[in-house]
Amino acid sequence: MDLLSNKWIVYLALCLFVAGVSCNSVENKIYVKLNYTVPCVRLLNSTHQIGCQSSLSGDVGVLHVLESEENLDFVLRTGRNPPYMVIMESSLFTRSVMMKLKNGSGRVAGVAVVEPTSNPPNGFSPHTRCPNENTGVYSENYGPGLAHCNTTKWNPLGNGLSYEEFDFPIFSMKDDNDTQLIRQCYMDHNRPVNGSHPQYPLCAMQLSSHMSAVTNTPTCMRRNSINFSMSNEMVCDPLSDQNIWAPSKPLNITQNGHKADESVIIVSARLDSRSFFSEIGPGAESAASGLVTLLAAAHALRNATQDAQLDRTIFYTFFHGETFDYIGSSKMVYDMEKNQFPIDLDNVHSVLEIGQVGFYSSSNLWLHTDPVSMRNSSIQKEVKDLIANLNSAAVGLNVSVKEPGVTQPLPPSSFQRFLRARPFPGVVIEDYNSSFSNKYFQSMFDNADSLNVLYPPNLTPEEQLNHVTDTAKSLAEVATMVARALFLQAGGEKTQISSIKADELTVSRMLYSFLISSNNSWTQEIVAPKDIVHLNNNTVNFYISVEQQASLPTILAKYLLANLTGSVVNVTQENCRNQKESEDDKESKHLYNYIWVQGAALPNSTERDGFCVRSTVRWSRAISPAFELENYTTSEYSTWTESRWKEIKGRIFLVASHDLEMLTLGVGIGVLLSSLLLTYIMSSKADILFSSGRETTSATY
Amino acid sequence: MNLERLPNEEKLTLCRKYYLGGFALLPFLWLVNVVWFFKEAFMKPPFTEQTQIKTYVKRSALGLLFWVTVLTTWITIYQHFRAQWGEVGDYLSFTIPLGTP
Repeated sequence: MDLLSNKWIVYLALCLFVAGVSCNSVENKIYVKLNYTVPCVRLLNSTHQIGCQSSLSGDVGVLHVLESEENLDFVLRTGRNPPYMVIMESSLFTRSVMMKLKNGSGRVAGVAVVEPTSNPPNGFSPHTRCPNENTGVYSENYGPGLAHCNTTKWNPLGNGLSYEEFDFPIFSMKDDNDTQLIRQCYMDHNRPVNGSHPQYPLCAMQLSSHMSAVTNTPTCMRRNSINFSMSNEMVCDPLSDQNIWAPSKPLNITQNGHKADESVIIVSARLDSRSFFSEIGPGAESAASGLVTLLAAAHALRNATQDAQLDRTIFYTFFHGETFDYIGSSKMVYDMEKNQFPIDLDNVHSVLEIGQVGFYSSSNLWLHTDPVSMRNSSIQKEVKDLIANLNSAAVGLNVSVKEPGVTQPLPPSSFQRFLRARPFPGVVIEDYNSSFSNKYFQSMFDNADSLNVLYPPNLTPEEQLNHVTDTAKSLAEVATMVARALFLQAGGEKTQISSIKADELTVSRMLYSFLISSNNSWTQEIVAPKDIVHLNNNTVNFYISVEQQASLPTILAKYLLANLTGSVVNVTQENCRNQKESEDDKESKHLYNYIWVQGAALPNSTERDGFCVRSTVRWSRAISPAFELENYTTSEYSTWTESRWKEIKGRIFLVASHDLEMLTLGVGIGVLLSSLLLTYIMSSKADILFSSGRETTSATY
Repeated sequence: MNLERLPNEEKLTLCRKYYLGGFALLPFLWLVNVVWFFKEAFMKPPFTEQTQIKTYVKRSALGLLFWVTVLTTWITIYQHFRAQWGEVGDYLSFTIPLGTP
């Protein structure tokens, strides 16, 4: 008997195990999970919240494929089964459609936008028309007629969608199998046939992107740090990353504050971009063009700055977070003012900024200056010298530079934050005169295609890496001009500038690494082993994000700058990692930065021939000074934070009508109540019901 | 505890203990007093201690009513206005919901 019961126990356990493993298939039969989900997330600043929010467990809506703007009427008024989950092609992702959906008052459960395979021809920019208008230098006190884009709108195509607040989730989807499934589900179940309304069951989608932070940055930072709350969970994080900088000759970084006898030319570019959706930020023209040009110029100047004795030091700087009210540049200026940086503002002689220069090849390069500071005659003289140097540098190249003829403010640029501190001579190089030539500023379409980085078909990735595109050639020209101008500005001899030339192949490889695939044979050679895992096969995401994540553009810029401006030194791996050239060396780490990079792959082996690169590359934290001062209501500095979230997911399934659900619930409750009643009746009349025919011999108690 | 088996004096002391205990900001004790001793105070045939128990039960009911109104009013006000109170609301709260003001 025991053996038999043991056997049954084992069989039962086996059955349960099999059922447990395969019982998940019920969920798979009901729900189809979406694999590629890119949400729009909530960002907050000192006064507002922007972005999208879903309800805690996700918003469910009946699918509707939007065919045209007139079809919105079905969603907003005539459709019988609200709320609707609207799926649209990106051609319908316009301000008028989204504003109508935003005011949809409960009939809209969410929006999914299908990414197109090619960029919209008329341009699309979800950023505002006047980027960073409140944190630049122009205000009522400084150039009042120039503030708030009164003279010229820099981003005329801007529809401001990124800065609107939506109370439903908005996701982006690729045009792949999942989207085809969604369209098929819509065709099968939801499509109104011949004017009649579709009947239940209907195809529905649930999108979940619940954001924890709310209202504005002071509120969410306060909730982050409330001490006596039971579950102290963080709800938002400030946007932050790192600024990368490298002086052309070594500076002692242990001494902060003013450095005597140092006159520094700051040449800067920005490292970041964004789009409406959180993980997409290709930023080809808005970030990569300037970044690659400055890296190439630094590379071109490597030998010249080491050989010649220059009066002034060139400071290659890459600011992060400029999209969000100049996070990086405001932090660096703040550090310089507070003597927490190796140089201070008295050391800065002039500023040259490389803005968006990718579309140069079809027109001129424009040198923008600030009219207000130029009223001072000494500043005006310095600016004229700088422009003259740029003109001399452009001689003999395929580059033509011009100044805008009218009095107009500086375009949105990091140089404005330097001007907020005090007047400096400076020039911002852009490829546009009075409004962006970039039709896709800060959008997901600002990619390799929009920058004309095109490769002939049928090339392997390795061949693409080494193929020199036309864009690369024109950017190399710009880099050569910038490098020569910097050499002249730093006091170099005019006769020596013809030897300064940017390398087109390096520019091509950099463009490939930033815009096509960051994991290629070239980057694998120049990156340190610990950061190889961050390289991937997609276009680099330039969004600044929050501090926890190792940001790929920062990593690439760091290693590229180190390899392109530094030199290979014969140092052992251990000494290199410990920042010294030999065992007793204690001084070099103050002047130089040593990186052990992976190097080329040895033939017939997985080993790599690593080497040590000595450069002057440093990095400093790029977080808005508002978070160091803990003043979150300030209008002087950026106060942008990103909300935290628990999970982002989406799934589709069929829903039954609400009436059927209520009926089922009602029947269930009815069965429960009637069974309770029946049991009560039976138990109270038990002696009548269950008396057997024979006389029972009742036991005497 | 079954009140049936207690002698009347012990019922009175128990009622008095619960009544006095409720003054220590414990309205639940008054609720228990009212519910438990209601039958004893109003529905049983009279016994000597019943008048005292009656007063205790009546006063407990009064105190309970007072507490219910105060708490209901405060809870309604708090739930309705916490979002608008901003900083004060956050410092008053034990758990703050995520994602909603």
